[in-house]
Amino acid sequence: MGENILFYLPAVPLGTSLLAFGLRSRRMVEVVHFAGSSIVALLSLLLAQYVLSGQTLLALNGMLYADSLTAVLVLIIGVVGFLDGFYSIGYMRYNLAHGEVDERGVCSYYGFYHILLLTMILSALSNNIALMWVAVEATTLGSAFLVGFYKYKTSAEAAWKYVLICSVGLAFALYGTILTYSNAFAMVQDAHRAMLWTELVGMARGLDPQVMKLAFVFILIGFGAKVGLVPMHTWLPDTYSESPSPVSALLSGVLMKCALFAILRYYTIALQAVGKEFPQTLLLIFGLLSVGVSAFFILVQPDVKRKLAYSSVEHVGIIATGLGAGGTLGVLAALFHAINHSITKSLLFCTVGNVALKYGSRDSQKIRGMFKVAPVTAFLFTTGLLAVAGSPPFNIFASEFMTLMAGLQAGHFWPMILFLIFLVIVFVAFFILIGEAALGFPPEDLPRGDAGWLTLLPLGILLVLMAGLGVHLPAPLNQLLQSAVSVVLGGEI
Amino acid sequence: MSGTSVVNALAVLLILTSMLVVETRKLQTAAYMYSIQSLVLVAIFLSLAVFMEAEPLYIWSITALITKTFLVPYLILRTLKKVGIQEEGPALETSSSIFLAVGLVALSFVVVEPFHMHAVLKLKVALAVSIAHFLLGLLCILARRNALKQILGYCLMENGSHLTLAIMAYNAPETVEIGILTDAIFAVLIMTIIARRLFKDFGTLDTDKLTLLKG
Repeated sequence: MGENILFYLPAVPLGTSLLAFGLRSRRMVEVVHFAGSSIVALLSLLLAQYVLSGQTLLALNGMLYADSLTAVLVLIIGVVGFLDGFYSIGYMRYNLAHGEVDERGVCSYYGFYHILLLTMILSALSNNIALMWVAVEATTLGSAFLVGFYKYKTSAEAAWKYVLICSVGLAFALYGTILTYSNAFAMVQDAHRAMLWTELVGMARGLDPQVMKLAFVFILIGFGAKVGLVPMHTWLPDTYSESPSPVSALLSGVLMKCALFAILRYYTIALQAVGKEFPQTLLLIFGLLSVGVSAFFILVQPDVKRKLAYSSVEHVGIIATGLGAGGTLGVLAALFHAINHSITKSLLFCTVGNVALKYGSRDSQKIRGMFKVAPVTAFLFTTGLLAVAGSPPFNIFASEFMTLMAGLQAGHFWPMILFLIFLVIVFVAFFILIGEAALGFPPEDLPRGDAGWLTLLPLGILLVLMAGLGVHLPAPLNQLLQSAVSVVLGGEI
Repeated sequence: MSGTSVVNALAVLLILTSMLVVETRKLQTAAYMYSIQSLVLVAIFLSLAVFMEAEPLYIWSITALITKTFLVPYLILRTLKKVGIQEEGPALETSSSIFLAVGLVALSFVVVEPFHMHAVLKLKVALAVSIAHFLLGLLCILARRNALKQILGYCLMENGSHLTLAIMAYNAPETVEIGILTDAIFAVLIMTIIARRLFKDFGTLDTDKLTLLKG
């Protein structure tokens, strides 16, 4: 099959979403949704396997493309997208039972879920930089209805801010795309080649550095808004807190990485066109700023889901810091952290979904004594928080440590001290939350008992992944990451 | 008159119409202004097509005519019909926002100065205008509080990037143009749908009243 995977990957969610929109029954749509998202997960594993065997896949006259960097992103989309989708089933059933949504609403939820998967996969696979932009913008539009899914006033407000700010941000990215293209076209006089990322990498050293600098700034502002880098992050806490929990998990765990990988593609070009100083300094500044600003918001924010949203800003900042440090270790840290954050944040957003359903509130002042009320959920919640705060032996600790080492290796002593201080603040903030929410005495009138297995099993799988990657990096994944690093650094295509 | 001077003259007209979009208080009029300004954009596409012998730009002008001159204003006016005619209060005084606008136009001319690429040398004015246009759209979003006005601001930004695209990348594959245009239309469509929901929930389109989410 080889190249055919590039077609199957978008075709499956497209078909699934069309089917889901056409259905009217919860039972049927759940089967279709589960089947559709498991096939995407299997295809993503298959793609990784092809890429690992040394193949680079191209299709549609070079428009669709997959290298090891693509494979990392597709793996995140496939596997984490499947687990968030699995959790959605139990979560939507609960919503249905409590009259938050009707059966028709459930069907359109799954319809939009797979539209989002489709647009994310396209953004991962497009080799044409303009189509990459189109796909990332389409992810915003595809997810707008999921963000505004509930009928509350706050959902409408969040959806408005989300679509407006992300679209405006992406308008900047479009400028960056056009600048890059015309820069390349002036050089090769070939419209087709000047659009293809694979070709751009080859000619990057000949591009006009002044124009490329401007283009990179536009790209970083534009896609940076979608990723949630400070100061373009203002929509993010609203959006992540008001969306249904599995959607927050998908937005933070997966969608954010699509825009991040678009930045990475331009990072590769910029490294060669303008040298490493300029892009790395920019990323380091944005990265540290994001970690610093979010650390304080995590500390003072009472709403648990908003805390987690700010924590996403923090982790994007850590990834940017890794890229800012640069070098093999820095880029490896950034990519590994992207994977780790996807798993851990998905786990946490979904767990908080269970917690909020149980307590009827997301206010950390009202959530008490979770271990006495729902021990399994409490266990997931506590380990997830410990992991996201960066405690050993979990995966995030490993990649944060690598980021720190990369920064020190690159000679950024004081910035790294600052970085460490911010991380300690975050750690304290989450430690306080664990103390308040998980321990202590629960409200008297709260019924005991955990959520159903449907909303716990997918979280259990995420937990195993999270803990597993902390102690052992499997050889194939390690190989894939190493090869992705060399793609980012322009070593081999 | 040479080809480039026609384009440059039209580009100046583009700035004037977009300032009208930003400054007009009545939303209905602003939507019509946007329609006129898109017509100017179409005229620029056509003249670029003639003078630069750029075949693809003929198709661009047709698609731009359909989507920007008719479809987008129609979407805005349809929403207006649902929510009733809205007058907007200024978040920024007209005088100061015009002052800012002029500053942005000047800034764009400075930004294009270091460009040495052959394709854009003759059209530097038009390129500066396209960037100014983009910034004016941004100003409209930041300085105006009405949701529909902000959508129009987004459309101005789109027109700006579209003009840049036409100047610097008209020879790009058609799929690209179609993709970008489709995105823009869907963006406007979805934003108007959300704007209608905002009106239903909050009883106003004043985005300053959206203050439930904080911190």
